[in-house]
Amino acid sequence: MLRKRFFSTQTPPSSFTLNPKPQNTNIRRPNWAITQVTKSNFTNSVTKLKNLISDSDYIAVSLQKTGTYSSPWHRILPFDTAETAYLKAKYAAEKFQIFQLAVCPFSVVRGSTNKIIAHPFNFHLFPRDELKIGMPCYSFSCQPSYLASMAREDFDFNFCIYDGISYLSRAQESAAKRQIGNPVSSGYVPQSPSSRSVADNVFVERIKSRIGNWINACKRSDTKTDDALVNSLRKLILGGEDYGSRPSLNIDVCSERQVQLVFEMVKSHYDNVVPLTISLKGGGTQAVRVVLTSSKEDRYLLENELQDVEEEQSKRVRGFREVIDLISTSQKPVIAHNSLNEFTVIHSKFLSPLPPTMDEFKSSLHSAFPNIIDVDHLMKGIGPLNKYTNLTAAISYLKKHFFAPIEIEIPHEASMEESKNHGHNVVRISELFAKLCFIQKITPQTELQNPNGPSTLKQYSNVFSLDSNDFQGSSETDDISLWTQNPKKISINTLVFLWGFRSGISAGKLKNLLCKSHDMLSEDHVFDVWLVDKSCAVVVFWKNGVSEWFLNAINSGDGLGELVADGMMAAGYEAYKKVCRSEILGMDLADSLGEIDTVSGDHKEESAEVYWNSELMINFDDL
Amino acid sequence: MKNPLLIVRALSLIPFPRASFSSFAIKNVTKSNFESSLADLRGHVRDSDFVAIDLEMTGVTSAPWREMFEFDRFDVRYLKVKDSADKFAVVQFGVCPFRWDAVKKSFVAHPHNFYVFPRQEVGGDDTSYEFLCQTSSIDFLAKYQFDFNVCIKEGISYLSRAHEDEARLQLHSTHEDALTESQCAAKETKDVPLVRMADILFVERMRNKISTWHDDLLQIRNGGSGRTSQDSTDSVNQFQTIFFKMRPAIKLNGYTSRQQRLIKSVVEKSFKDLAYIRVNDGSCFQQMIVYTDSGRDLELLMKEVKGNLLKEAEMKIGAAIGFRHVIDLLSSEQKLIVGHNCFLDIAHVCRKFVGPLPSKLEEYVMLAHKNFPYIIDTKILLNANNILQLKMKKSSTSLAKAFAIMCPHIASGVGSSGLASSVAVEVQVDDMISSNWNSGAKHEAGYDAFMTGCIFAQACNHLGVDFTSDSTLMNEEKLKNYINLLYLSWSSGDIVDIKTGATATESSAFNSFKTSQKIIFPNIVVIWGFSSKLKAREIKDIICKVFGLTSVTSIYHLDKTAVFVQFNQPELVSEFLELISQIEKKKNDAIYVLHPLSELLEGGSTRSACYEVYKEICASPISKVLFADQAEAVNINLNTKLLKSKAQENGSFVNLESPIDTKTAETKQQIKSSPPGSNDPRGEMLDIVSC
Repeated sequence: MLRKRFFSTQTPPSSFTLNPKPQNTNIRRPNWAITQVTKSNFTNSVTKLKNLISDSDYIAVSLQKTGTYSSPWHRILPFDTAETAYLKAKYAAEKFQIFQLAVCPFSVVRGSTNKIIAHPFNFHLFPRDELKIGMPCYSFSCQPSYLASMAREDFDFNFCIYDGISYLSRAQESAAKRQIGNPVSSGYVPQSPSSRSVADNVFVERIKSRIGNWINACKRSDTKTDDALVNSLRKLILGGEDYGSRPSLNIDVCSERQVQLVFEMVKSHYDNVVPLTISLKGGGTQAVRVVLTSSKEDRYLLENELQDVEEEQSKRVRGFREVIDLISTSQKPVIAHNSLNEFTVIHSKFLSPLPPTMDEFKSSLHSAFPNIIDVDHLMKGIGPLNKYTNLTAAISYLKKHFFAPIEIEIPHEASMEESKNHGHNVVRISELFAKLCFIQKITPQTELQNPNGPSTLKQYSNVFSLDSNDFQGSSETDDISLWTQNPKKISINTLVFLWGFRSGISAGKLKNLLCKSHDMLSEDHVFDVWLVDKSCAVVVFWKNGVSEWFLNAINSGDGLGELVADGMMAAGYEAYKKVCRSEILGMDLADSLGEIDTVSGDHKEESAEVYWNSELMINFDDL
Repeated sequence: MKNPLLIVRALSLIPFPRASFSSFAIKNVTKSNFESSLADLRGHVRDSDFVAIDLEMTGVTSAPWREMFEFDRFDVRYLKVKDSADKFAVVQFGVCPFRWDAVKKSFVAHPHNFYVFPRQEVGGDDTSYEFLCQTSSIDFLAKYQFDFNVCIKEGISYLSRAHEDEARLQLHSTHEDALTESQCAAKETKDVPLVRMADILFVERMRNKISTWHDDLLQIRNGGSGRTSQDSTDSVNQFQTIFFKMRPAIKLNGYTSRQQRLIKSVVEKSFKDLAYIRVNDGSCFQQMIVYTDSGRDLELLMKEVKGNLLKEAEMKIGAAIGFRHVIDLLSSEQKLIVGHNCFLDIAHVCRKFVGPLPSKLEEYVMLAHKNFPYIIDTKILLNANNILQLKMKKSSTSLAKAFAIMCPHIASGVGSSGLASSVAVEVQVDDMISSNWNSGAKHEAGYDAFMTGCIFAQACNHLGVDFTSDSTLMNEEKLKNYINLLYLSWSSGDIVDIKTGATATESSAFNSFKTSQKIIFPNIVVIWGFSSKLKAREIKDIICKVFGLTSVTSIYHLDKTAVFVQFNQPELVSEFLELISQIEKKKNDAIYVLHPLSELLEGGSTRSACYEVYKEICASPISKVLFADQAEAVNINLNTKLLKSKAQENGSFVNLESPIDTKTAETKQQIKSSPPGSNDPRGEMLDIVSC
């Protein structure tokens, strides 16, 4: 086995020394050369990255935001279902801004020494409104404590804000194109001209003869060298103007249908004329501009020119999103850590606004990134210790307990001052992934050669790891107990949220208080209490039916009159779900629950279950 | 008087003989030099005649429609300011005390530029706070080289008075609890279940070791020599006996929090005379086991330890006040505060350093006045006073422009020498003194505060204020008409008196061309969610088709899918809303498909409501970029609102605000505090304004 032999005894040796040496107290920043990308070197870097992506097996991504949660209960907690976890992740993704996104195409090389060849790039982002159209984002939130901790790690905010690359999401890009309103040549796919009405025919004939006359006039003026006055008069009468060095004519249209007709007609009748659409600001087509070229060659020239202009413009509009598109089109497996949080951010900033439900999100994300692997989830495959959500902790855990040396080779040189060398996590993710594959005997190469066959890696893909509990979508939850240590499968119906007690009370005291309040609650192991935040607790009833009784008793005042008189309130899981769905999650869960109409909380029988892990429950006391 | 522009131009051409700009840096204050700077500032403020302030924030409006509109009533405008103060953070705070030096015949200014960052160090969970950044504002700050790194790493944090009170209350109640809590009660609940084999083994091992130490200790006390070091195992040696409060103790280092909990439970269960305590050891908490002689001694120890913890926590709260000391200083010294267009600034000061802002303008005004009894706004001064208006030559009253026009001698660094009518300002930063200082760092709070103060000093001079007299500036007759007047919205000329809460609309020559119409709020409906292709003209046409050609007096876009529509009669509001809801209900009826309004309702997401609903939407803490999305998100029960508004329409208008007649408010400084509902709007004549 790969496990270090001395560790196969049940008890870890480190627990026995009385003053165990502090482990990894001083994790120094590794000296990896990471290409730092800002506005100035963006174009160059993208070209490099494009080739590197196509040569690599995997792409690791990692991002840095302006905050993670705005109140303790907004974190994904052990009692969250897939749906509420998604809603919380969505809430945070929409609120906070992304400052850095690190991308690292890498390959795993097996041999006498196992190594990864990695090419880390760290993109600095800032949502500057480059096009003056109020996009990509009007405002964003910051979590001061999070910014302060970034500052302690020498994060350079000026670098980001002054020189960060801007971007537009795919959804914003199409909106922006309409808004900017430059002439566009492509986009009209010829459709079968079958169903033309009389009016259509009349319109087409009229335009056809108009263009014909205009072309003749242009040609006539070409042969003769008229004086400027005559030329300009002619232009005035014909309504033409120059498009660059070529003559052009604007044709007004009143519907998209007419645009279509003009395009079809021009393409079939006039070889040397190129049609363009001119958009209205704010959407819709205002006119079609036809440009006369002198020959076939000239037409190709113009078409190429237009394509370049369009390309240039859309590059400018997309900005950093080009990188996301590169990753997406490569269809390579994307390796991430804390993927639910990371990909809700990526989806909302670079694809489109987040859909209201987890299932819609998954299918929408799947179309852009078909293969996402979360290292947290892989990590769970190797043992019970699922609390290593921190990357460095996870790596040092593996180092201690397994023999899986991975050499990291970063071929390209990055000439950056040390203080600005950020984005190490993306290399750590690559390293962790390679280690985990090695330990669990997943051979990445064979995976790639046989992507459709039965695969071991496949079972890990597209599973979003939550901080503490797992799910594979709400439908397939069978093998979950493999991953967590000693989980108790509990129905969300046995959970009751309790508030109205004195702020700052300890969970133990609250439990005592409840014990004393009624005989039903005084027995052992009837329920447990944990504080969600300082003013709200969650109570788990271990026996069936007790939660219903409790809710009833609190809401009616029967049986628990004393608690009710003290202002204690309670609500079931439905109310919590409603709170998670609301526009503003609120600082205190108690206040938010208080505002939800609890009367409608009829418990629908749902299969949703959460996995309660006793290991994590203890940590709740520390909240 | 020379043309200031000429001077500037001349300066740029001719190399000035004496070094014209003294270019020492402004006094920047961060965490590291805050204590000493505060001590100096106290003296400067105490001696000063007035203190100029300026703030840099992370944003102004949380959504485009939260900008000030012409159709915003006073209460709505306040809600918009409140929203801004609630959401955005203050990142730089400029404070510049000005003192008149009778000997030098000049003002002495001490500009301070404080970097502020809302790291909430105590009071609630330190992670449970967030602030908003407006992308364009951050970009703006970046353009002026604002140093975000200094702000976040070195910025001074603060604690508002409300937060401080809350933190102290919380602290004392938990302390009292801890004192009354009996030892056994704690034991009962704090048991850690031993679920893992490792835990059980660990607990056993710890029990043995502690017991060995405990026995050794007793042996020594009883005169025995204890075991020699040769006898003892290596691990026992690692328990080094120290003394805590005159009692033998061992420090516990390097255990995980879980292990600590296990040790704690062992100590409490198995050793009656040992106490497990947690003390603050400088920067971090230190766990230790302490030996006590008796139960009484144990109690004594616990009380002492808890008392210490309380004291430390109180000190921590005191230390967390941070930048608020500066605000407390300004407030307690009751100095004249000078700002430039500073209603929002003052709102931020109250929100950040005093407590949550009330939801009503009248209540807010009381709160602000209580803390800052004398505020003067240089923008009001420049626009309202005839002499100063003349001086400004109808130029823009933006801070930089006003500074260049009012104080050319300072702006250009000439010094006061050549110009008789100008007030000299000497700048003092630490030990450096200059009579022609100019750091030139515009949009840096400290420098902006300095400019504001200079403008004020110059304005006072033009008004003929005698600086040498003994009376203070706030009692100055010539300033009396301007004191405590602030622009609620500069562009509309809406003024509020911070002392009385009275509101008025200024109608100076400057903005009269904009407001040529009366705005009557009960006549207004808000419509949103229609197609962005519909423009004001089309919407007007649609509505006029139904309600008559003269029915709509004006239309104003909030954003591309939302408008205000003002009718010529209040009854039309309810008629319109009713008609809309009827059509909505019978969407597919043939009659309604051809109805003119159906064009407005196309798409199915068009909604409309009366003005009070708009106010409610503004009051919501939600901020969506589009007004239509905002209204949807606020999700107030529109139907009930509609019914309520209908009831109001059918009844009288006594409860609704009187219209604000922007045309007839000719009196410039006279504040009209009309009690709401005193006029009957139906009697008013109306302007028909084309859109």
